[in-house]
Amino acid sequence: MATLRPEAAEAPRSTSGRRPVPKRPTPSIHVIAVWGIFLTLIAGGVWSMFDLGINLFDVLVNIISGWDWITENLFPPQFPEAARLVELILTTLGIVFLATLFSVITSVPIAIFAAVNTTTGAISRQTARIIIIFCRAAPDLVFAIILIRVFGPANGALIGIVAMGLSSIGMVGKLLADNIEDVDRGPSEAIRAAGGARWQWIQSTVILQIMPQIVAHGLHRMDINLRNSVLLGFVGVPGLGQALSNAMNTRQWDLVMGYTIVITVLCILMELLSGAIRTQMMGRDSGGRRRGVLGLLERIAQNSWVHAPTDPHTAQRTPKGRVRVAPQWDAGRIQRFFGWAALITLAFLAIYDVELNWEVLMNTLGNFPDVVSRFFPPDDHGHYASRYFPALVETLQIAMASLLLGLFVALPIGAFAARNAAPTKNIATFFRCLIVACRAFPELVLAIVLVVILGFDATAGVIALAFGSIGLLAKLVADSLEESDTRVQDAVRAGGADRVQTFFSATVRQTAPATVAHILYQLDVNFRAATLLGVLGLGIGFDLLQASARSRYEILSLLIINILVVVIILELISMYVRKVVR
Amino acid sequence: MAQSMTAERATFTGAEERSIQLRNVTKQFDDVTALNDINIDFAPQKINVLLGLSGSGKSTLLRHINGLHKPTSGEVVTLGTEVHRAGAGKLRKLRREVGMIFQHFHLVESMSVLENVCTGKLGSLAGPRLGLFMYPREVKEQAMEQLARVGLADKAFQRADALSGGQMQRVAIARALIQEPKVLLADEPVAALDPVSSATVMNLIGNIAKEDNLTVVCSLHQVEVALEFSDRIIGLRGGQLVMDRDSHSLSLKEAHEIYNAVAVVTEEEIQEQAPELAGIAGEQHS
Repeated sequence: MATLRPEAAEAPRSTSGRRPVPKRPTPSIHVIAVWGIFLTLIAGGVWSMFDLGINLFDVLVNIISGWDWITENLFPPQFPEAARLVELILTTLGIVFLATLFSVITSVPIAIFAAVNTTTGAISRQTARIIIIFCRAAPDLVFAIILIRVFGPANGALIGIVAMGLSSIGMVGKLLADNIEDVDRGPSEAIRAAGGARWQWIQSTVILQIMPQIVAHGLHRMDINLRNSVLLGFVGVPGLGQALSNAMNTRQWDLVMGYTIVITVLCILMELLSGAIRTQMMGRDSGGRRRGVLGLLERIAQNSWVHAPTDPHTAQRTPKGRVRVAPQWDAGRIQRFFGWAALITLAFLAIYDVELNWEVLMNTLGNFPDVVSRFFPPDDHGHYASRYFPALVETLQIAMASLLLGLFVALPIGAFAARNAAPTKNIATFFRCLIVACRAFPELVLAIVLVVILGFDATAGVIALAFGSIGLLAKLVADSLEESDTRVQDAVRAGGADRVQTFFSATVRQTAPATVAHILYQLDVNFRAATLLGVLGLGIGFDLLQASARSRYEILSLLIINILVVVIILELISMYVRKVVR
Repeated sequence: MAQSMTAERATFTGAEERSIQLRNVTKQFDDVTALNDINIDFAPQKINVLLGLSGSGKSTLLRHINGLHKPTSGEVVTLGTEVHRAGAGKLRKLRREVGMIFQHFHLVESMSVLENVCTGKLGSLAGPRLGLFMYPREVKEQAMEQLARVGLADKAFQRADALSGGQMQRVAIARALIQEPKVLLADEPVAALDPVSSATVMNLIGNIAKEDNLTVVCSLHQVEVALEFSDRIIGLRGGQLVMDRDSHSLSLKEAHEIYNAVAVVTEEEIQEQAPELAGIAGEQHS
């Protein structure tokens, strides 16, 4: 019947007369609004550059004129003695690992409640979504500062783990909820039809199907947490960040330089490691000859202790004569076993290494409501207009200015890095590598170095965040260019257009909506990062630290509310734009 | 006619009670009527085929039998359980005795074949299972037994996505059989398969139904397959019961009449089904 419908609809058309050429539709109010938002953003970026007094020429002059000071004080970099360095690295990695593990383990149930196909009802779904939105909105620093007051400043490791863990829930929970909604629902129906209860089918079908994504998001978040942990060191989270902050306070610039190098190398290694694990996870059993250590193991196993079953109609038996119900110890099982064993061992080692204070955790959970109640009601003591609002604006300005700066560099880099837009494959590869290098370098660490060189000034923050924006934006732009429909480009090229014409009329037009969405997302990222710059004396983050240090709970809550409002407004704008330009 | 015939057969085979009864079942999805006042009984230990085009209500009817869908009005009684008013606990209990297989197999592709089969037993186990190692040995041995039965014992430890479509459907059958069901529901079991795999799967279902004395309700859209394989053919069209025949006494000519009854769209029906479309088309041009 369905196949007949188009014909039925077609029939009267042939009898009617010619239709008048339709007028070009007037652009919808939403499209105008998006253009307005975009232009406001550019204007805001320009205004921020002027208002913050950012002059790249001056920066260059400063660096050149201060070159002697820089070479004298920063070079050669100093490193702490090896044992101490190893201890610091292990502490940082332990905290980052536990924070990520904590966030992943908490995110899975939250995502299950937030996803439409696994939730138990409208109320639990909305609650889970609100938790995710709140965790996404609040930057790490906000959680850390609240937790300093909850756990006490002496429990840095706990503060770091819970603060980064909670703020990770926002990202990991949201991504997992999306993954759960995309999961094939057939197997769930099959288990329900067999009488499986809710948690049975959720575990056996949904969680199992998103397992690769759980690991991938966890690894991705671990990268981010490693970077953020450096700045949390300034508020007492132990590890490399704290050591760096101590070196800064005592003006041991060469030591600052040494720590910076260590952290950067660590970030790059982490990126490489997580990339390697992700590739390993994504690869499915291709049936071909496996290479590497696992392949060797597989071949050894097959010739000695593994005997593949051959009879389809009889169950294989073990040497003892029982029905074999577990896979043999082939390379795959050995890998899975050691993967899980390594994860559990690492978790215990990390807990042991960071010396978690369970007593404090248990005691403070009891007086948690008491501490929270001290945050209310918020009060500005009459300084809002004169001090806190300008600080908030400054943070927003840092975000906008860095976005503008980053944008100008990121767009061409992204275009050249896309294989279908770059003049040659080699150029694309070169720019891809440039992006990877740019992303591997932690921008918050760069901010520290720039503060050392340029002084405590917004310029350092803007340049650092611009650098970070280049990495992320260029990657996103290049990816969306590569995802664009090449048939359109072929069609335009077939009409005689040259490479540049094709790029602008076929490729750019297709990618523009995605790019606009990426830019707004980047603004969101930059604002959150800008609050973290408070540890370097910039913007509202600094007032947050000050209020925390003086135990002014009412000011803290006021500032936190302000930050949350801005983040949520940015989020709403970016949601709206994504909806319109899709 | 349908009722009298099945009642007669039930007494003839001496079975304890009718396996499945549907009384005045109507199912409404928003403003689409998927099932319209269906009355039907399924006798035990027979292979029943629901024949019809996609959208005729076959899958919806099947899902009423084990309570995956609840009727908007009417009554469904399966193996003595009143499905239309059963709560979650009662439904779970019923579903242990009703196996189901699907057009797209519905296996967890990243899971091993053996564990996929074990998940069929979840209805009789308490609590979630995090992996193959969490199932009792007894269940795993049963699963191996069923895999041997469908001829896939050698694939037990491979991932489900390493199998071909026909093999996947056989795994799904093993998953249904581990429940030791009394009723097997099959929703277009061969629609996604090539002719050779289709024959294998249909023969397997037929043999197993005989060996285990199963009541099978299977939806299909190919008349030839239905004719060869079934005891009884029920035609559905637009959510209505349009035909109900014992298929053993059916000639090929009659089979084509059946095909006409369920699958060929008449002129009147186009008029009947598409006036709203004609209306839309008219508006566009006015």
